[in-house]
Amino acid sequence: VRQTLALVLSGGGGERLSVLSAERAVAALPFGGKYRVIDFTLSNCCHSGVGRVGVITQHAPTSLHDHIGAGRHWDLDRRGGGVMILQPYLTRSHAGWYRGTADALAQNWDVIEDITPPRVLVLSGDHVYRMDYRALLLTHQQERAAVTVAVTRVPPDQSRRFGMATVSREGRITALVEKPERAETPFASMGIYLFETEVLGEMLRARPVDMVLDVIRPLLAQGRRVAAHEFKGYWEDVGTVRTFYQSNLELLAAEPRLMLHDPRWPILTRDEERSPVLMRDGAVVENSLVANGSRVAGTVRNSVLSPGVVVKAGAEVSDSVLMSDVSIEPGARVERAIVDKFSRVGEGAWVGGPAGPADPELAWLDGLVLVGKDADIPPGIRVHPPGVVGIGARAVDFSAAALPAGTILPNHAWFEDVT
Amino acid sequence: VISSRYAFILAGGLGTRLCLLSERRAKPAVPFGGKYRIIDFTLSNCVNSGIYDVGVLTQYRPTSLNQHIGTGRPWDLDRTHGGVQILQPALGSVQSDWYQGTADAIYRNLLHLRRRRSEQVLVLSGDHVYKMDYNVLYAFHVANRALMTVAVTEVPEDAVSSFGILETDRTGRVVAFKEKPRNAASRLASMGVYLFDRDSLIRWLNEDAEIPESTHDFGKDLLPRLVERGAPVFAYRFASYWQDVGTLDSYYESNMAFLTENPPLNLSDPEWVIHTQSADRPPVRFEPGARIGRNLIANGCRVAGEVVRSVLFPGVTVATGAVVHDSIVMQDAIIGRGAVVDRAILDKNVRVGDGACVGSGGETIPNRACPDHLASGLTVVGKSASLPDGITLGRNVRIGAHVTRDDFTSDVPSGGVVDGPESMH
Repeated sequence: VRQTLALVLSGGGGERLSVLSAERAVAALPFGGKYRVIDFTLSNCCHSGVGRVGVITQHAPTSLHDHIGAGRHWDLDRRGGGVMILQPYLTRSHAGWYRGTADALAQNWDVIEDITPPRVLVLSGDHVYRMDYRALLLTHQQERAAVTVAVTRVPPDQSRRFGMATVSREGRITALVEKPERAETPFASMGIYLFETEVLGEMLRARPVDMVLDVIRPLLAQGRRVAAHEFKGYWEDVGTVRTFYQSNLELLAAEPRLMLHDPRWPILTRDEERSPVLMRDGAVVENSLVANGSRVAGTVRNSVLSPGVVVKAGAEVSDSVLMSDVSIEPGARVERAIVDKFSRVGEGAWVGGPAGPADPELAWLDGLVLVGKDADIPPGIRVHPPGVVGIGARAVDFSAAALPAGTILPNHAWFEDVT
Repeated sequence: VISSRYAFILAGGLGTRLCLLSERRAKPAVPFGGKYRIIDFTLSNCVNSGIYDVGVLTQYRPTSLNQHIGTGRPWDLDRTHGGVQILQPALGSVQSDWYQGTADAIYRNLLHLRRRRSEQVLVLSGDHVYKMDYNVLYAFHVANRALMTVAVTEVPEDAVSSFGILETDRTGRVVAFKEKPRNAASRLASMGVYLFDRDSLIRWLNEDAEIPESTHDFGKDLLPRLVERGAPVFAYRFASYWQDVGTLDSYYESNMAFLTENPPLNLSDPEWVIHTQSADRPPVRFEPGARIGRNLIANGCRVAGEVVRSVLFPGVTVATGAVVHDSIVMQDAIIGRGAVVDRAILDKNVRVGDGACVGSGGETIPNRACPDHLASGLTVVGKSASLPDGITLGRNVRIGAHVTRDDFTSDVPSGGVVDGPESMH
């Protein structure tokens, strides 16, 4: 594994995450109170002994870059290897946004070639899971495969979210179908590939765009050895509002399927230096994760609070995900909502609640209210679910005392109001 | 080129009055405030004041301090130039020996000043909890053309006997100094924070080393001698919170002070972050049915029972039905099902068995082994001690580090002592 080069695809904008990923890559989304989504993949690299990691960025990468820095927190600040950011770039002959997953790899072929690792591990920065890549390598070596694809079992009704792989009795992949309505096989591709570098190089020469369509499918057609490695642990792609919300709340289960603090496999992150959680008289906190730096005087139930969240006296938060430095003013109510960083819910305001009959257009919101970064919801306002309060929303955006279900308020740039 | 500032931090103290808490660790390494160690405040003051070149002098049981400081990462003190250096007593020169007193400790490390050309040298203590911008102290020192500046804080009349007390004239110049006087005309106590003119410090330390009857201590020897001689020693009055967490009682009180409406120090001031070695711990987990009141609870804790008016350090588990009131519980301690912990200080990795009761009853007989330090009703359990299921400990009880379940034959009444295995040293 030491010699393996891991390339983490983290350029995705997660259009399906609306305001949450408008100004950051999905990989940089806060998750589980104090983590970012990419922490899981980077921690897996660290604990599996992968010492060279390239993070491929494109969509709103600043917060991801800030987070990764020199890679200290994952012991990836190294003299040889360590972490490097691979952003889109220009050359004299071509202008290069990454057009797809395989194109992103192709455009970084120079980097791969310079390092000439024996194998390249292709990962995604958008997944939450704990996986030992050494097991994947073992399968790969035992199968003497050209490429090994990590697969995981999914329920039949989920097949339309994934690329479904048909696996032979010998553990070889014989077919890979993208997002079928119905699948014969329970195995979904996790988007994790371990390539022999030569094979990858060969395929990238054809200027592929998409990993499945232009790389894996042709390999299968050529009859190359494409092995499957079954991963049996918890794994989730948090690229949708539903999966992001649910996988956060699943951390509250009595025996969460995703363990954050296994001493043998801790999830490492850039820890903000915040004071311990401060609770006031009258605080009620039940079935929740609350990160350092939070101050709670009100009630918090079934929720995940990131560092620095303030829940004032008489405020009630339930079934919600609150990101860093969100402030819930006295008497406000937040139910079934995801509130992004630095936002404020004014005194007595009421955001979210039990969802009414679902409008199929808004099914992607899963009955939730999303509140974008830096939004300021004025006192007393009622925001009915489902809905989206745009980034930087402020008093003038709330013309009525209540936003009806299905309202989507636009985003504002912070400098719009500067005169 | 601005020559970089340099600070020595004295971190070798015994902290005898902290009883069990500093039995196996230096006082600066004693956990404080839910996630910090006492030395974090001084180290953070240094870097927040722009001082990135620091020597930490250790002597008494330095292991846990050394581990905590490591390469100095959390304070941005892992640097190519400067950074943090542990200065332990060492052999190798004519002057090699254990540090005899605070002045002697600096004297034996004067070689570290050789290539550091800054005009002043800061001498700090790692034992204190406070937030101070040393730039203000430097400015005061320079404005007064002092050769030595002592930071002072006003203490209550009845406390003067535990401090070095200074008398000043109107300009702030020190005219008299008394170490721990019975009574004094002034209430200005030395905080153990000294700024020296570099060359004068070297001269004075050389001189002090030659005096056979000296105990080589800044407070006992050097400062009185300089004041008597009329050297330009000034007192810088520091008006904010400063606490020498000297005794078990003051340790308890000053931790609890962080639970009040107006805590003495703002621990979440983004302009003055208190940095510490934070282990990667998940957010605090509150189980269904958890009951809480006013508390300070750090990441990594798991609360299923009831926690009120308490400070929990990272990784503490409070099982279902357990009750923790008015207590300080350090890293990774486990409070078993249905156990009750009341007015107690539990050190790291303590295990409280199911249904056990720590701090019980109204009887407050002073502790048999340390009646002077353990008499106010607190019960103290040392590091990694394990209490059997269903046992009852009274008030003012002391349970030694590494005591096992088998070391108990019965309940421990008020004032009782159970000692564990003798430390090898």
